[in-house]
Amino acid sequence: MKKVFENLKNGLIKSNPVLVLALGLCPTLAVSTSIDNALGMTAAVLFVLISSNIVVSLIRNYTPNRVRIAVFIVIIATLVTIVDLTMQAFLPELSENLGIFIPLIVVNCIILGRAEAFASKNTPLNSTADALGMGMGFGIAIVIISFFRQVLGTGELSVFDREIFQAPGLTDNPMAIFILPMGAFLVIGVLLALLRYTGVIPNE
Amino acid sequence: MSSTRLDDDLKQEIFPVVFLTIVVCVSVIALSIINGITEDKIEEAKQEAIDKMLGEQFPEMDDSEYDDDIEVYTIFANGSVVGYAFMIEATGYGGPIEILVALKNTTLEGDDIILRGISIISHSETPGLGEKIVEASFLEQFEGIGVNDVRLTKDDGGIDAISGATISSSAVVEAVYDHAKEKARDIREKRGV
Repeated sequence: MKKVFENLKNGLIKSNPVLVLALGLCPTLAVSTSIDNALGMTAAVLFVLISSNIVVSLIRNYTPNRVRIAVFIVIIATLVTIVDLTMQAFLPELSENLGIFIPLIVVNCIILGRAEAFASKNTPLNSTADALGMGMGFGIAIVIISFFRQVLGTGELSVFDREIFQAPGLTDNPMAIFILPMGAFLVIGVLLALLRYTGVIPNE
Repeated sequence: MSSTRLDDDLKQEIFPVVFLTIVVCVSVIALSIINGITEDKIEEAKQEAIDKMLGEQFPEMDDSEYDDDIEVYTIFANGSVVGYAFMIEATGYGGPIEILVALKNTTLEGDDIILRGISIISHSETPGLGEKIVEASFLEQFEGIGVNDVRLTKDDGGIDAISGATISSSAVVEAVYDHAKEKARDIREKRGV
């Protein structure tokens, strides 16, 4: 049981997929413009990651080594299509906002990476814990980044149409650069530097 | 002895193929089930989005009809035609800009092509600059003017460009000007039939 907890914790900080492993940077940069998008993306990634880890782990003893990557990709693509269709049907607005980045979860390295590196060698329980940790690690990183980008870039913070606060002085003259892709690089760079400097993420 | 080794080899060759085939079959079955559940919902959501979009320009709308040939929505209120709407695409600074153009129900000839208004459906213009094409102060300028006035002020038209976003503004203006005339002709021909 201790190992399960260890696996869960691993993805959160020590091997955070975005902040430490630097995986899945493309969706991170692209959809971290608002907290809504970040949360939507996190939910999609969590679902795909957990289900794919479970399925890959369940069939790990039967999967022939030579076709394993093809098998993983078929499983992941199926799950992503399920998410994509469900979102289009029930959350059309969110699906419109996330656009191409939902289908692109198929090629998100976090998911194939965990299938290959973890789920194909571990029990379903441990794989679930790993997926949960990695998925939440991704979520935490992308929500923090989108918090700074939204506040600095638009001067206000609102989550699901509920306004939380307005930054004085920024509302009239927001720093639009933070909404642009350039701003994503700036935020992620400063964040990484700070986390290393303060020792939250250990230097290797 | 040798025959069992042959069998083993064959198994080694065939098993991955069989396994992958099974995985794909399961995937196809799962997806067709999900598709069956969501298909109608997705169609509904799309229709709802279109109705909402048309309703912004025609609040009185109670019915709309889409013509596949000329790609124009005819808008009805209380059983009579109140106007027409269609989607056009402009090439902005940051990529394509999708615009919904609404026309009043007039003769649609010469100077008598009158805009009801336009809405921006999607765009990827620069935040803080070109993005201002979605603001009411820019879009309101299109309301109720003849298509021949859809030019920037510097070209003797009736639309003020957004400062700092001339490319985005003129992209919208030019696309509306060009396409509205074309579509008006299409609608006229269709009505004549």
